[in-house]
Amino acid sequence: MSDKLIQIETPFVFNGENQREFDALIGRYPVKEAAMLPTLHLAQRQVGYITPAVMKYVAEQLEVSVMKVKDVVTFYPMFFEEPVGEYVIRVCHTLPCALRDCKGVLDHLKAKLDTDVASETNLAKGTTPDGKFTLMKVECLASCDVAPVIMVNGDLHKNLTSEKVDEILNDLSEK
Amino acid sequence: MAFVKLNDLEIEVEDGTNVVEAARQHGIEVPHYCYHPGLSRPANCRMCLVEPHVFFPPAGAIVPDRQLATGCTTVLRTAPPDRKLDGKYDFIVYTDSPRVKKARADILEFLLVHHPLDCPVCDQAGECDLQDYSHRHGHDKSRYLEVKNVPPKKDLGPDVLLYATRCVVCTRCIRFADEVSGTGELGLIHRGSHDEIDIPRSHEGVPLQVLDNKLAGNVVDICPVGALISKDFLFKSRPWFLEKANSVCSGCSVGCNITVEYKADGLYRIKPRFHEDINQHWMCDDGRLGYHYVNSDDRLQLPLKRVDDELTPTHWADALAVITENLSEVETEDIVVIGSAQGTNEDNYVLQQFAHDVLKTTQLGLFGQLPGEEHKFPQFTIEADKNPNAAGARTILGSANGNVVLEGEALWEKVSEAKVVYLVSGGPERPLEDAEKAALKHVDFLIVQDVLPSEVTQLADVVLPGTTFAEKDGTFTNSTGWVQRIRKTIDPPGEARVDWEITQQLAKQLGGEMNYHFAGEIALAIAENVPEYADATHQKIGDAGIKLADSDQ
Repeated sequence: MSDKLIQIETPFVFNGENQREFDALIGRYPVKEAAMLPTLHLAQRQVGYITPAVMKYVAEQLEVSVMKVKDVVTFYPMFFEEPVGEYVIRVCHTLPCALRDCKGVLDHLKAKLDTDVASETNLAKGTTPDGKFTLMKVECLASCDVAPVIMVNGDLHKNLTSEKVDEILNDLSEK
Repeated sequence: MAFVKLNDLEIEVEDGTNVVEAARQHGIEVPHYCYHPGLSRPANCRMCLVEPHVFFPPAGAIVPDRQLATGCTTVLRTAPPDRKLDGKYDFIVYTDSPRVKKARADILEFLLVHHPLDCPVCDQAGECDLQDYSHRHGHDKSRYLEVKNVPPKKDLGPDVLLYATRCVVCTRCIRFADEVSGTGELGLIHRGSHDEIDIPRSHEGVPLQVLDNKLAGNVVDICPVGALISKDFLFKSRPWFLEKANSVCSGCSVGCNITVEYKADGLYRIKPRFHEDINQHWMCDDGRLGYHYVNSDDRLQLPLKRVDDELTPTHWADALAVITENLSEVETEDIVVIGSAQGTNEDNYVLQQFAHDVLKTTQLGLFGQLPGEEHKFPQFTIEADKNPNAAGARTILGSANGNVVLEGEALWEKVSEAKVVYLVSGGPERPLEDAEKAALKHVDFLIVQDVLPSEVTQLADVVLPGTTFAEKDGTFTNSTGWVQRIRKTIDPPGEARVDWEITQQLAKQLGGEMNYHFAGEIALAIAENVPEYADATHQKIGDAGIKLADSDQ
């Protein structure tokens, strides 16, 4: 092997609050492995993204191999393996949103934020240099009746126009 | 037993057999990638689709089922009397209907969508299920015009490379690492058509864990395509140029069944061969990669004798003459004959016959590789005894007339008092422990029969070049009492000779009457004279081996 193994210098551990939440949720599943998704969400909330230290820690907590965790992390686009902006803007580009001009929304966001769109394996491409925003396209956000929509972190914004997008960005910049 | 109509055959199969196996038992190929008899069955490759037929009440007739089913997970069982089809069949299934043939061809087209078709530079070409099935069951052209995915080639571990472009994502390797070795280093990354086999890595690609367990080489065997490749064999030879011989691994006392693949110039690779009670489908990497000493340039090729304290090459006649001379005036109780746990039962039988009939000594010992570590996996164990035939050598050497076979401390104590010692070694280079070295230094005249220069041969007065497991026929007895055959593949290097032939030559030189022509003949003599081995003729042992009656374990 030419590659050297990665050395984890600062191991990850849950902070007090997340530990309590983890303890509560682990009891709800018949096997520990089944708690993979909520556990990863907790960890991502704490660090911002899934580092090798997080994968190792989660694997130990759930008594599975590290590869099982990596498997899940790479499967779901909602887990990040590199730092993302403070606000992650997800622009739906599935059919109803596409028919209601989500491309216009996306182009407007691109121009406003002066950034490209992130790809699943390269989030940095869609992240603003100040680390405030990450712009990405996603599949259906289940709000076709109010298309086009975007989701900023956990919040859904409906029936978007350029003006509404400007408002949202202004609100976020002021926070 | 289930009575099944398979195509136009009427067959009986044991309850619980799946369609792929049932068809295989009757010479019908049901192509498959993800199914492997030694692993769990996810039925994800869809290659083994077959067409079950069911009773359709409205029509009052037996008709093809609405959907094709995966043969690997369709299990054949005896049906209750009122559920028999046509009044007699427990199951009706077709593996060659037009619907099945079309499904196969279409699945293959999908599997080949991202395939680079780089057979000319692929190690698997010639033994590739993708090639074979495409040829037998596939379309002759692809309709895919888009850009192909080109995932990078990856280093997974000390002996395993992944050419991800060739992978059909059958996940056999992942299941092997989860179920058989229990080490879980392998998994899938990404999703859908971007699926790739990988080890856990950071986002930058630095591994957290590598495929570095002692069973890792098996994933290369079970990979049905050219995705997982052994670095040891990479670009060494096309598989169709290799000769093959069924043999037994000499790496430890488990006695894994193997196929030795070779050309005239040496061994090229070793692969496990199925044996239900010993190694199933697997073998360890120590055995798989442990053959390199056979090909070594350092192999002993000529007899050596000590001249002015230097080991000097000589010819056989001279070496034997030197031995005869030194043996002529020694009392019987000053001679110790030491057999090898690396040698075959036949080697050791001739040796004990020589000791008993010619040298008239009852002082016999057993020598072999130093013990290693035992490694336990969920479905496999590598034993600590690094000799393939300790059990057999012990019985055979001790067989004639209640000879005691000395081992360990008792042996070296005896050796340090002896004047002449004839020691047969063999196998990879064997370092000596201090006590062993001290005892052997005491010996006036030490004859060593070995395959490589080592600490043992350094102390010898005469060195006789013997042979490895790959250069002779014979039998090994494993730790659970299975007697199995090894077979000659390549010729011994230079003037080296088969071990029992050397012993026999020596016996003849000293006036003994021994005249064996081939190993099978010695096995007959063993069968006649050693009660436990009464059935252990080469003919009866065959490829499956036989288990000794009194060694229930």
